[in-house]
Amino acid sequence: MFLLTFGRSILFAFQSFWRNIWLSLATVFIICLALLSINFLIIINAISDSAIVAVQNRVDISVYFKPAVREAKVEEVKNQWEGLPQVKNIIYKSPEENLNDFKARHQNDASIQETLKELEGNPLGATLVIQAKNLQSYPEILKAVDNPAYADLIEEKSYDDHQLIINRLNAITGSVKKGALIISLIFAIISILIVFNTVRIAIFTHQNEISIMKLVGANNWLIRAPFIWESIIAGVIACVVILAVIYPLLSIIQPYLAKFLQGVDFNLVSYFNHNIIWIFGGQLIGIIVINFFSSMLAIGKYLKV
Amino acid sequence: MIHLINVTKKFQRETVALDGVSLHIEPGEFVSIVGQSGSGKTTIVRLLISELKPDSGRIIVGGWDITKIKRRHVPILRRQIGVVFQDFKLLPKKTVFENVAFALQVAGTPRSRIKNIVPQVLKIVDLEDKTDRYPQNLSGGEKQRVAIARALIHRPKVLLADEPTGNLDAINTKDIIDLLLKINEFGTTVVLVTHNKEIVNAIKRRVVTMEKGKIIQDQKVGKYFI
Repeated sequence: MFLLTFGRSILFAFQSFWRNIWLSLATVFIICLALLSINFLIIINAISDSAIVAVQNRVDISVYFKPAVREAKVEEVKNQWEGLPQVKNIIYKSPEENLNDFKARHQNDASIQETLKELEGNPLGATLVIQAKNLQSYPEILKAVDNPAYADLIEEKSYDDHQLIINRLNAITGSVKKGALIISLIFAIISILIVFNTVRIAIFTHQNEISIMKLVGANNWLIRAPFIWESIIAGVIACVVILAVIYPLLSIIQPYLAKFLQGVDFNLVSYFNHNIIWIFGGQLIGIIVINFFSSMLAIGKYLKV
Repeated sequence: MIHLINVTKKFQRETVALDGVSLHIEPGEFVSIVGQSGSGKTTIVRLLISELKPDSGRIIVGGWDITKIKRRHVPILRRQIGVVFQDFKLLPKKTVFENVAFALQVAGTPRSRIKNIVPQVLKIVDLEDKTDRYPQNLSGGEKQRVAIARALIHRPKVLLADEPTGNLDAINTKDIIDLLLKINEFGTTVVLVTHNKEIVNAIKRRVVTMEKGKIIQDQKVGKYFI
C-alpha cells in the first residue's frame, strides 16, 4: 500500500509537471535565476579569495646576514626559526646567489657594475626569506627575529616597511571577507524567498484541485506528496540547466579574468571542476530542502477542507 | 442510513444555518431536500461529508457517528459517500478516466482493478467513448456524468447530489435526474439538494422542505410548495 501510494505520488508529480508545462517552466526559470545569482556569488568569492592568497604569498620577511657569518651559522638560525609554529617556510639564499641577483638587477647601472669589479670578494652575506602561514602570524615572527641573540649576525632586516603593509593587508582582507559573507547571506535569503514564493504561487494556482482531492477522499499525504515531488523535479531540472549553462559562461569569462588578474594563478573552470561536488551538490540539496519546506507550508493552507 | 439528531450549525456565531434539525433517511430512499437559498440545505451536505462540524446535535451515517470525527478519519468517510456538486469539481488536468480513477487511487486500489472497474462505471454514465478527454472538452451534462461516475466508483451506500443540475440546460437536467433515479433503483440511497421545482414535482419521491435552517415540511411523496 505504501509503495503503491509512493509510486503514484511520483507519477502524479510527473503528470502534473508535464500537463502544466508553462507553469513548470516558469518555476524552473525562476529557480535557475536564483541559482545563477548564487553561482555568480561563488565565482566572486573564489576570485577574491585567490586574489587575497596571491597577495599574501607575495609578503615575506628578508633577513640579510653579515658577510662574515658562515653558512653553517645561517643554517642553524634557519633551523631555529623553522621550528616556530607561525612559519610556513624559509628560503636560504647564498651570498653568491645574492650577488648574482644584485648584478642582474643593476646590469644597466655602469657605476655599480664598476664598483663591484673593484671590490675584492663578495660584499653580500646570506639571506633568509621567511614566509608566514598567514598574515596574522608576521608580528610573532618579527618578534622572534628581533631577539637580541641574533643582533650580531644580522646586517639588515626588511620587515620595518612590511609592518605597515601587513597591517593594511590584514585590515583589507578582513573587510573583504566580512563583506563577502554579508553579501552571501543577503543573496541566500533573497534566493530562498524567491524560490519559496515561486513554489507558493505554483501551489496557489492548484488550490481548487487540492480541495477537490480532499472532497474525493484523498488523505493529506497523497495530496502533498505530488506537489513536493513536483517542486523537487523543478529544482533538479534547474540545477541541471545551471550546470549546462555555467561551464560555457566560465569559459567565456576566464580569458577576461586572466587579463584582469595578471600574475595570479587562478582558473575558474578548474576551480569549478575541483569543487563540482560541493558547488552543485550543495545547490541541489539546498534547492531540494527549500522546495520541500516551501511546498509543505504552501499546501498546508489549502488542506483544511 | 442517515440520522441527523437535533443538529444546529451557526456561522460567525450569529447566522443560524441549521436550527435543531432532525432528519432520518432510510436505506434505499430517494430524498429531495428543497428550499430557497440560505435555507440550510447545502449545510446538511457539508455536514454529511464532514466539511463542517455541527455546533450541537449528532450525525450518524451508515451507523457511524461522525459528529466528532477525527481529521484522519475524514478521507475514509468521504470514500464511503458519493458526492456530486453543482460545479462538478473535476480535476482539470486529468482525463475523464483519470478523474474517475483518482477516487480509487486515493484509496490504494491496485491498477489492475482500476482498469477493470472504471470502464464499467463510465459505461453506466454513457461516457465510455470519451475516456481520454479533458473536462474542458466536455459539455456541462457530460462533466456532471463524470462527477457521478466518480461518486459511484466506490459503490457507496449514499449518493449526495448538491444542486447537480444547477449549471445544466433542460435536456441535460433530465438526463442527470434519470441517471440518479437509475442509481437509486440499484439500491443506493440518493439525497438530492435542489431548488428546481420541475424536477422535484416530476420525480414524485420524498421531499424535505427547509426554510431558515429548519425543516418545515417532510412529505413521503411530495411537491415543491414554496
